[in-house]
Amino acid sequence: MLEYQSIYWNPILETLSQEKLRALQVKKFRRIVAWAYNNSPFYRRLYQEAGLEPGDIKGLEDIRKVPKTEKGMMREVQQDEPFPYGDMLAVPLDQVTAFRQTSGTTGTPVYQADTWQDWEWWSECWCYILYAQGYRDTDRVFIPFGYNIFVAFWAGHYAAEKLGCEVVPGGVLDTQARILKMQELRCTAFMATPTYVLGMADAARNKLGIDPAKDLAIQRITCAGEPGASIPTTKRRMEEAWGAKVYDHIGATEIGAWSYECTEQPGGLHVNEAFFLVEIEGLETGESITEPGKEGKMVITALDRIAKPCIRFDSKDVIRWADHPCDCGRTFRVIDGGVVGRADDITKVKGVLLAPTAIEEVARSISGLGDEYEVIVSKKGDIDDILLKVEILPGQEGEQESILFRLKDQLRVKTNLGYRIEAHPYGSLPRYEVKAKRFKDLRKKGG
Amino acid sequence: MVEWKIEEIDELIQRMRQLAEELKGKAGEIQAVERNLDRILANIKMLELNISDVKELV
Repeated sequence: MLEYQSIYWNPILETLSQEKLRALQVKKFRRIVAWAYNNSPFYRRLYQEAGLEPGDIKGLEDIRKVPKTEKGMMREVQQDEPFPYGDMLAVPLDQVTAFRQTSGTTGTPVYQADTWQDWEWWSECWCYILYAQGYRDTDRVFIPFGYNIFVAFWAGHYAAEKLGCEVVPGGVLDTQARILKMQELRCTAFMATPTYVLGMADAARNKLGIDPAKDLAIQRITCAGEPGASIPTTKRRMEEAWGAKVYDHIGATEIGAWSYECTEQPGGLHVNEAFFLVEIEGLETGESITEPGKEGKMVITALDRIAKPCIRFDSKDVIRWADHPCDCGRTFRVIDGGVVGRADDITKVKGVLLAPTAIEEVARSISGLGDEYEVIVSKKGDIDDILLKVEILPGQEGEQESILFRLKDQLRVKTNLGYRIEAHPYGSLPRYEVKAKRFKDLRKKGG
Repeated sequence: MVEWKIEEIDELIQRMRQLAEELKGKAGEIQAVERNLDRILANIKMLELNISDVKELV
């Protein structure tokens, strides 16, 4: 009993056989589809147009009959009543207790409604994440986040409290004040985007003369918002900078907190299959992918979210199942390498498919380079051009030529593309506190 | 192998739900009772997601 208690937030669900998990998912999928059909005019319309009634879903094989949803639909309906969510809403407006919105990095922000029950659900999902990453009631958790309209680490805050951790909200403090507060209170854990984890370490070293790995007590860091914690070279930089374990989590405002890395760090993230149903579809063909190792686009259902249901949502995230179970004993399947790209980010340059994460993986692997970089894809006449801006670390300027040679060489090997590389003075490229925008495709309108 | 007393736990959860709903019905216009019960019911739902939903599969 103690062994279970020490590892799992819910040993029943987290060790359920795959067969039973599928049965649970079908039962919950039928329930959420019926809920949406009966309570959301948008979903009722969508399903009626497809000639589908909730009772038509009998088993796993019927799930693909249910029409998919996507962000564009959410943007479209939120122009209508009830304001500001539109008729995707499946509860009376007076039951909505929280507003959040997406960051708007891919277009007009989507507004998200949650009831109090939904909010409990959000923090419950985060409890699975934090418990699996070793958070316990002995932790003092600092949250250096702006506590605003973005969901980001809000649910992480509530989940940490639910676990019994002592939570320090680092809301309006600036970066240096946050670092000093973390040091003063001997905080043991914090949550931030990978960009900010590296940025804080940089500020600690260069502005405060503090070495986070030696002078602070951080043991674990939970990352979200960007893929960095699943990119081995970026993860290594963060872990070395802080002398702490770095764990990834992937979630989304319109979906929920659907995946997490555990303390085994299996090279991927568990999908919380008791609360979410993840399907993978072929990028070109749309065929269902169930076998490990094959990349495709994620279609996801939040099985218990009621105010604004998220059913068969085409997330555009590119993922693949891992081919081995995790040593932690959880039966929730692992997505290998986290989200390996976005269907709308993977772009053809000079006829070659390029994922921005591949550039990050290389740039962060070269010693002598700073953490920041920027990629600009443009057209020079009829030919695609990739400009990569990097910073050389202070004291490494004499090695610039050799550093850039290694960078160019590795980029060609890993991405099959040639780059123009510019070395910029350390500290001159933009710094970000939340989600970084390092990849700019000027060939696209607004890119 | 640990044996979980799922049926028993679920029974108690359902009694809690019944009690909370009954109390909500009697709250009348007392917001202090009604709104606190909304929160209690949301927490009971989390117990159901963790236990009751899976009881026939364990």
